[in-house]
Amino acid sequence: MEMHFESIDGKSRSYQLLLIVLAAFAIAGLVATWWVIKEGIWVTGMTNRIPWGLQIVMAVYYIGLSAGSLVISGLYGVFGKTEYKPFARIAVYLAMLFLVAGLLSILTDQGRMDRVFVEPFVYFNLQSMFSINPILYIGHILICVVYLWALFYEKKRLTTVIATLAFGWAFCVHSGTGAIFGFGARMLYESPLLPASFVAAAMASGTALMIVIIVALFKITNRHVDDELVLWLGRFLSVCLLVVVYFLFAENAYRVYVVELRKAAMYYLFGGFHSILFWGGLVIGGCFIPMFILFRKRTGSSVRWVVFAAVLVDLGVLCERYVIVLPGLTHPPEMFPGMRVIGSPIAEGYVNYAVSVPEILQALGVLAVIGLMFAAGLKIFKLLPNEARISGQHA
Amino acid sequence: MERRDLLKTAGGTFLAATSGVYAFRMLTASSAGWTSPDRQLASRRWGMVIDLTKCRPECTACLDACRTENNVAFHGDERYDIHWIRKAKLRSGEGSVAPEKTMLLLCNHCDKPPCAQVCPVQATYRRQDGIVIVDHHRCIGCRYCMIACPYNARFFNFKDNEEWPNKARPKRSHGVAEACHLCAHRLDQGSMPACVEACDRGGSGALLVGDLSDPGSEISRVVEQTPVKRIRPDLGTDPKVYYVGL
Repeated sequence: MEMHFESIDGKSRSYQLLLIVLAAFAIAGLVATWWVIKEGIWVTGMTNRIPWGLQIVMAVYYIGLSAGSLVISGLYGVFGKTEYKPFARIAVYLAMLFLVAGLLSILTDQGRMDRVFVEPFVYFNLQSMFSINPILYIGHILICVVYLWALFYEKKRLTTVIATLAFGWAFCVHSGTGAIFGFGARMLYESPLLPASFVAAAMASGTALMIVIIVALFKITNRHVDDELVLWLGRFLSVCLLVVVYFLFAENAYRVYVVELRKAAMYYLFGGFHSILFWGGLVIGGCFIPMFILFRKRTGSSVRWVVFAAVLVDLGVLCERYVIVLPGLTHPPEMFPGMRVIGSPIAEGYVNYAVSVPEILQALGVLAVIGLMFAAGLKIFKLLPNEARISGQHA
Repeated sequence: MERRDLLKTAGGTFLAATSGVYAFRMLTASSAGWTSPDRQLASRRWGMVIDLTKCRPECTACLDACRTENNVAFHGDERYDIHWIRKAKLRSGEGSVAPEKTMLLLCNHCDKPPCAQVCPVQATYRRQDGIVIVDHHRCIGCRYCMIACPYNARFFNFKDNEEWPNKARPKRSHGVAEACHLCAHRLDQGSMPACVEACDRGGSGALLVGDLSDPGSEISRVVEQTPVKRIRPDLGTDPKVYYVGL
């Protein structure tokens, strides 16, 4: 049977139940956002010393997730691996949705959301990473739209061109997002490695997400997918993880080695809750255990184990996004080297941050909104193939 | 109408509407840049000297005057209180028993302000006379400036300010960032910032604001002839608040 794309019926009970659950979360997120707009951002638990919280963590996480989706579509569009054609449409659609999720997270984090749609474009500041990035993000979304169009209408030449452009653009998007922090003045932000390590973690998390979604979606909709297609993605994921670990090592070794950064490095590595997320969530849970699973012959050739490793990677990269954003803020700027601040009306030293309920509702709300868009997309557009087999694919 | 036509019509309408709004705003916007092009201001370069040897630890005259003059929010919660100028106590070294030093901290009005560099809407900018200022009507509340400031000198209106002691000056709604603007409105009219006047009235005379570009000004003389320090000039921000006795 020849592979062709089709939309789902969307009449099943479970599909409608899914829509209801997602709509409920989206409404909860909207209510939380309305509460934040009405009362002020203090309800999120952020303070003058912790001006960024979960929404920024989630924004960079979502933006990173969109990368891997594009990588999967690039396997077909750029590198001509026709066996990955069945996933190309869904991968580009997801890449677009996660960028939308990133933008929604940033939008709902602003103090004056009413000004976000006009001011940043009218009073553009070429020197601000916050000005440059929205251009990259919107460009990314537009490229995805053209890319999807090319895929839907089977425009082979345009697909190759736009897929290559999207691939290169995605590198800019993720480097730019990493640069928001890497080019920052905070002791635990400043790092020219951060844009590059951000790309590596983005590729890992996005590939992992695609593995989970492909396997789950094909199973739920009773479609066949060849194991080898998933297992190859698992091998690709293991290489991404190696790069992530290398960057983590290089970055932290530098901080520990340089005398003036050593104290901050110790705080980062062993200083509190974020250190637990770094070691437990990212290094062990998000990198070493998945690498063990993926490199071991028995587990690396089992789709179930690969999916389990992919879930761990996605959780690990979420921890990585947290430890990019938060420790840089809870660690105080060193204003008086060699002196201690022993009294001040504001918290000048180390501070704590705890995720609040409105923030969680907003984050889940954003996820639910793109979940709804994804579910609706499956019904409206011909995104899903009838099957995904290695042999018998036609370019 | 078919689904494809519906999508086309919706997309076309959206594009037309948004491009119209942006075109209108771009044509009517004044492009301030993060250095204001106002030539009248360019002849000055305001700076501040704080003589810590004259500053009395128990005195709060400058803090109170600033709060009243500029309607600076105080909620009684250190997480959300705003301090355009604040008093901190320092002690040298870990475990040292050296005497405490009283320190006044405020925006350093850097010549190379990282807060202005990162502001995505140019709401924070450096005027030609060196004052770093926030346009509260343009700020989108992204808080990137707070991240970029290495001096903890920028604050965010997390809550609405209930108090409005000085009706001649605006108070800010929640959702925008702010910091000391060196009482630019007073300097523009030829008078000194509220904190400087209050300090002089109290008899301390610890604060001095003046034109650093004028070699004959008192501030230039003090900076030239007295051992002064700035906070972390090594960061390359060129702060313009100088300390005597730090």
